[in-house]
Amino acid sequence: MTSFKKFIFGISVSFFFPWLCLVVIPHSKMNAEIQEWPDADTGKVNSYPQGKPNIFRQGQIVYAQEGCASCHTQMIRPTYMGFESWRPDFGKEGTIEEPVRIRETRLGDYDGERFAYLGNQRIGPDLSNVGYRHEESWHHEHLYLPQSKRDFSMMPSFRHLYKKRKIKGQKSEYALGNVDWEDDEEAKNYEIVPTERAKALVGYLMTLKKDDPFGPIVATENAETDVK
Amino acid sequence: MTEEQEKQESINSRSAIDQSARFPVLFFITSASLWLLLAATLGFIQQMKMHNPSFLDHPWLYFLNYGRSNPAFMTSLVYGWSIQAGMGVAIWIMARLCSAEVKNPLTLIVAGHFWNIGVSIGVFGILFGYGTSMEWLAFPKAVWPILFVSFSMIAIWLVTMFFRRKGNNVYISVWYILGACFWFPWIFLTANLFIHVFPGSALAKASTNAWFTSSLIYLFLIPIGLGVAYYLIPKIMGRPVHSFQLSYYGFWGLAIFGGWTGIQKFMGGPFPSWMPAISGAAVIFMLIPILIVTVNQLMTLKEDPSAINSSPALKFAATGIAFLIIFCVLSALSSFLSVGRFTQLSFTSIGYQVLAVYGFFSMVIFGAIYFIVPRITNSQWPSLGGIQNHFILSVYAIVALIIIHFFGGIWQSSAYGKHDAPLENAISSAKPYAIGASIVWIVFLISITRFVLNLISLIFRTGHREVYPTLLAATRVSADK
Repeated sequence: MTSFKKFIFGISVSFFFPWLCLVVIPHSKMNAEIQEWPDADTGKVNSYPQGKPNIFRQGQIVYAQEGCASCHTQMIRPTYMGFESWRPDFGKEGTIEEPVRIRETRLGDYDGERFAYLGNQRIGPDLSNVGYRHEESWHHEHLYLPQSKRDFSMMPSFRHLYKKRKIKGQKSEYALGNVDWEDDEEAKNYEIVPTERAKALVGYLMTLKKDDPFGPIVATENAETDVK
Repeated sequence: MTEEQEKQESINSRSAIDQSARFPVLFFITSASLWLLLAATLGFIQQMKMHNPSFLDHPWLYFLNYGRSNPAFMTSLVYGWSIQAGMGVAIWIMARLCSAEVKNPLTLIVAGHFWNIGVSIGVFGILFGYGTSMEWLAFPKAVWPILFVSFSMIAIWLVTMFFRRKGNNVYISVWYILGACFWFPWIFLTANLFIHVFPGSALAKASTNAWFTSSLIYLFLIPIGLGVAYYLIPKIMGRPVHSFQLSYYGFWGLAIFGGWTGIQKFMGGPFPSWMPAISGAAVIFMLIPILIVTVNQLMTLKEDPSAINSSPALKFAATGIAFLIIFCVLSALSSFLSVGRFTQLSFTSIGYQVLAVYGFFSMVIFGAIYFIVPRITNSQWPSLGGIQNHFILSVYAIVALIIIHFFGGIWQSSAYGKHDAPLENAISSAKPYAIGASIVWIVFLISITRFVLNLISLIFRTGHREVYPTLLAATRVSADK
């Protein structure tokens, strides 16, 4: 190994192939195969992926800036790696109000996103389907003071995404209900409301439902296997 | 010319090289060390906040929330400390091994300033809410061109130095350093262009991010660390490396497997299954070159084991090599589905990163700094006790961190996997380990503070002045290059 040219040629060739296969080709070719099938009742043609972003992209920027992905994942693994799509106290006190097709995440679930925040570690729960679990107001109160919703939570307060203001006329519909006011006078005259960034973040969380049907047969349509 | 005269000329020549490299090398090492201190402080804060959100929870300290302090810690550790210190040490070793004085040090200093400006904007950008939340690429999007141009200036300078070398003989350390300088811009540019600039699949961007992190470890930090170790160990031991052939095989093994790693992080994820599979296999195969290289270095050390005790530089380098073996074995273990399913989405992954960056790379670089700085400042380290404290505390902290992150991660992941148990069980299971890791970070902080104080004290000349390049007080006879 005495020739610089041979050296550069060797390391270029050895690095070129993984670079091509793991970065370049997946960027252009790694898309979900489009599947279409008619709805049994209406005859309307369904497709997967649906070809439009499923998420509120403005809120995803706030999600990134606040570093939510440092603690939360958005990746549900197949059941052979663990059953992690749902657990009894995943929101709404263990109930689901609408039929949910919770499944492992698939290639088409992230279409239209700037970046798939699959995450690194689960200090908090997986958020792939958090849009099903809570109301908007719950998210706002949880972001403002997480321990008021779950006393064991290790999540920090995002109170900098909220502002305190004097109530003028009617109280805002977004005013938080879990605020520790210093006295009754303050509680009566002031309110804590979300900023635009908080609204965007919660808007994003509400759109996280990575479970679009990808074929005519969906396991969760079977009452026996549906998660209740 | 008598033997005495030749020896004197050799000392004078090396002294002239050291003096010519003095300003750029000191600049890189001192600024990197200050970044390390900041990284350790942020490391402690983020670790405390991981289990105790009320720690430093004042309304105006919102920028220290875990989601911001964690990426700020990791990026300042990688870009502020590791890459910068690695470059500082690489410049000196290249100058010595090419037997050429440093020309145009201003280029290096300007590049170093821009690198520091880029990292500062990046780290403070993350803290003040402009981060991207991508692993090791969390800086605001505008920062990467500054870092790319600065690094390229340094890399071009190193290649120029290579062509100015005296004699045809090229040492193995030079190939390792040149390889790292070639790979880093390619990896860094690819990751940033494909993630931030080119449109493409969101999942491909996530896999590129994982590929970037892993490639940076296997194709930049490990080659630089090994290159430095290949310089330090034979030099301090005063004997040639055990087998030159093995060191070449090790290098090409790294080159062949390094670029395939990374996607195993998402095994079971929404990717074509060949991607995590091939990455996992590459990490397992990576054991071959790493064992070849490390065994080669340990065999060199074995020829005179007592040298390790008498030379702090050797002690740090040898310990770094031992941690590299542990890192590679644990990474290979986690590439198997049966283990990886428990370690992949737990805090084991951060533990691995700290093990690679601090346990291996930083330990070797510390060794190099303890060796180099007295030579370029013509002073001795003011406190040998400080070096010992730094070493012992670092080793204890890294060992504790490996245990906590590996077993804690598996424990946490298993608790999360019990889907019929309350969420509280899953969340709380990580807490004892996170508390343990916080204590470890206090130890890291003390150890790093001790190192930085020693370095500052040396630079400001409170140590003993010497006329010629000096050896550390406890260092044995050093052989000529």
